[in-house]
Amino acid sequence: MARALPDSDGIRSWRDIPQPVSPRVMSRGGRWRRLRQTVRALLLAGAVAGLGGLAWFTVGALSRDPARVPDVARSVPLRRLELATTAGGVLDLEWLRRTLALPPAATLMELDLEVLRARLLADPQVVSATLTRQFPDVLAVRLAERSPVARIRVERNGEARDLLVASDGVVFPGVNQDPAALATLPWLSGLALHPAGDGFRPIPGMAAVAQLLADAQYAAMPLYRTWTSLSLARLASDREIEVQTRDGATVVFSAARDFFVQLATLDYLATRVRREPGSNARIDLTLGRNVPVMVTPPGEAAAAPRSPAAAPGRFSLDSFPQR
Amino acid sequence: MSSRPYHIGAVEIGTSKVTVIVGEYTGRELAIISRAEVPARGIIKGAVVDYRAASDCTHAALEQAERDAGERIAGVFLAQSGGHLEGFYNEAAVNVKASDNLVEAGDVATVCELAKAKQLPLGRSVVHHIRRPFRVDGRLVPGSPLDLVGHRLEVGYWTVHGQEQRLADLIHVIQGFNLKVEELVLSSLASGHMVTSAEERQHGVLVIDLGAGTTDFALYRDGSPHTTGVVAVGGEHLTNDLAVALRLTAPQAEKLKLRHGRAEVQARDRSAKVWLDGNFAIGDRQFPQLAIEQVTAARTTEILEVVRKRLGAAFTPETCAAGVVLTGGAAKLPGLAAAAARVFGVPAHLGEAPGWISPNLRDPGYHTALGLLYYGIIHHGERRAPARAKNSLFAGVRRLFAD
Repeated sequence: MARALPDSDGIRSWRDIPQPVSPRVMSRGGRWRRLRQTVRALLLAGAVAGLGGLAWFTVGALSRDPARVPDVARSVPLRRLELATTAGGVLDLEWLRRTLALPPAATLMELDLEVLRARLLADPQVVSATLTRQFPDVLAVRLAERSPVARIRVERNGEARDLLVASDGVVFPGVNQDPAALATLPWLSGLALHPAGDGFRPIPGMAAVAQLLADAQYAAMPLYRTWTSLSLARLASDREIEVQTRDGATVVFSAARDFFVQLATLDYLATRVRREPGSNARIDLTLGRNVPVMVTPPGEAAAAPRSPAAAPGRFSLDSFPQR
Repeated sequence: MSSRPYHIGAVEIGTSKVTVIVGEYTGRELAIISRAEVPARGIIKGAVVDYRAASDCTHAALEQAERDAGERIAGVFLAQSGGHLEGFYNEAAVNVKASDNLVEAGDVATVCELAKAKQLPLGRSVVHHIRRPFRVDGRLVPGSPLDLVGHRLEVGYWTVHGQEQRLADLIHVIQGFNLKVEELVLSSLASGHMVTSAEERQHGVLVIDLGAGTTDFALYRDGSPHTTGVVAVGGEHLTNDLAVALRLTAPQAEKLKLRHGRAEVQARDRSAKVWLDGNFAIGDRQFPQLAIEQVTAARTTEILEVVRKRLGAAFTPETCAAGVVLTGGAAKLPGLAAAAARVFGVPAHLGEAPGWISPNLRDPGYHTALGLLYYGIIHHGERRAPARAKNSLFAGVRRLFAD
């Protein structure tokens, strides 16, 4: 059995004698020392608080107005730009330099980060931008980019331009995009673009379109590959999206129903329905389990006027409603 | 350790005087930067009998020392003496736990804990636990017993304890100046550390510190303190004896003692007389030299014999090869070394401070305060950082001091 140790700590030592004494029994010298000690402690606490306050004020002042930074801090010129983009980002340092258009030999503290950030955000491909000074000579830029989900062709002053559309409806020209990847994106049609500044207002209802495209890419890639254009003409009124396929079929999706179910139905029909080459078909998935399929024979299909959704949409800015 | 200087005051509140020495300690070096000495009041035989008077004189000494140093004292090492101090020896043994019989840290901690665990009477407080060397299976181990092979580990502690109120009185005198007592050190250990070398302590040496009101002694064996004690008789008793025998006032008797007192009778001529003042002023008288020597020698011999008696079996000439070292203000009495040699039967000499001590601090009256500073720093460091002790700078100081 283990032997219990006596509690040697229980033995009183001279260190257990309480040392502080009442000021009454202190000599004048002792009281004076005590007063000095108290005053010193208060002064020290005040100094610490003052330094903390000064630091807080300085940081606040500098962050509000970099012009207050001492000259020493301004003397080192900017030597390097660092760019970090979110996954899938395509913007590069060259684009960054071009967009920021920094004056030569600019120092870090001379830069107005708000102005630079506004320049970056002026490109609709940029969702958000964070600029950080890394002393002494590095400006770090962190970007979040938009990814295109569809294309759109715009004609302005008789000149056609292909633009990209992001999932949030923002229309942007697209910088450093891979042409091969862009070629796989479907065209958008049946919508009106409203100019805003140098660009356009975001396309309303684009979230549903992006969801349909994402679901199709995920669940029915072979079908998605055949899609050439999407018409949003009836999206606002009937919650319907018309998809034109490469083989002349028109598929109508309902934005009010689950796209996965509709894609599964379409996939089923694609394997069951056999059409004659050259015939047109219209598959309406908006009615639930009942799917009307209308097939136009090859002869009539050739005679029928081509649907505007079968080709890239063309828009004339003159016909757009005025802002 | 920080190299920022730390100013320590070594304070000895004696019966005749209060001594303060201020040291500047940087963690590597200790420099003595000032000293102050003020006649003591309100202290009898190491105990405070008049708090206000004791406080005033102590604070005056502290103020003077601070003024001369130009620095504020941060903490105080206080010398402790007085008849209330007692000591006892307690030892303990444990069986080594490990199957390979290697002594481990746990064994050492347990045996030390057990040896220190003796309960004290009510109202007593420990001043020092002085460890004697370890023994492994009866074999003396001067250093650490860790990793030695053995079955049984033994250790003993010489515990010095004192009356709590008296200890508190002295501590409160210092605290009354708004200073904290960092270490309380037995006067005999402080002065003993100053006037003996490591070799002497290893061979065995008895240090006797004759103060005005008390005589402190410390017997060293095997390199560490073995037994300590305090006899509440000192130089003031010689003065008092002379005053009674020759019908003098205390200042007159003190004057005679300092000029003509001896620890051994040397005068052979019974008719030889000495003047009290020697300035032929009114009231100046003559006293027999032989009578003065007889009175002082008798009391000195008595004090030494009391010390020997208190040491008992702990002291034998064989275990005290380095002899007796005498220190303290009353040790300046001529013939004291011869008297000590006669009483103890071993060589005796007056203790001297190491050569590196400034000449104005070499007087035996400063040995306790000086020792207090050095002993205090070493042991304060050990107590604060036992784990780092081996490689700490305190260890460096300790080694330097041991040399």
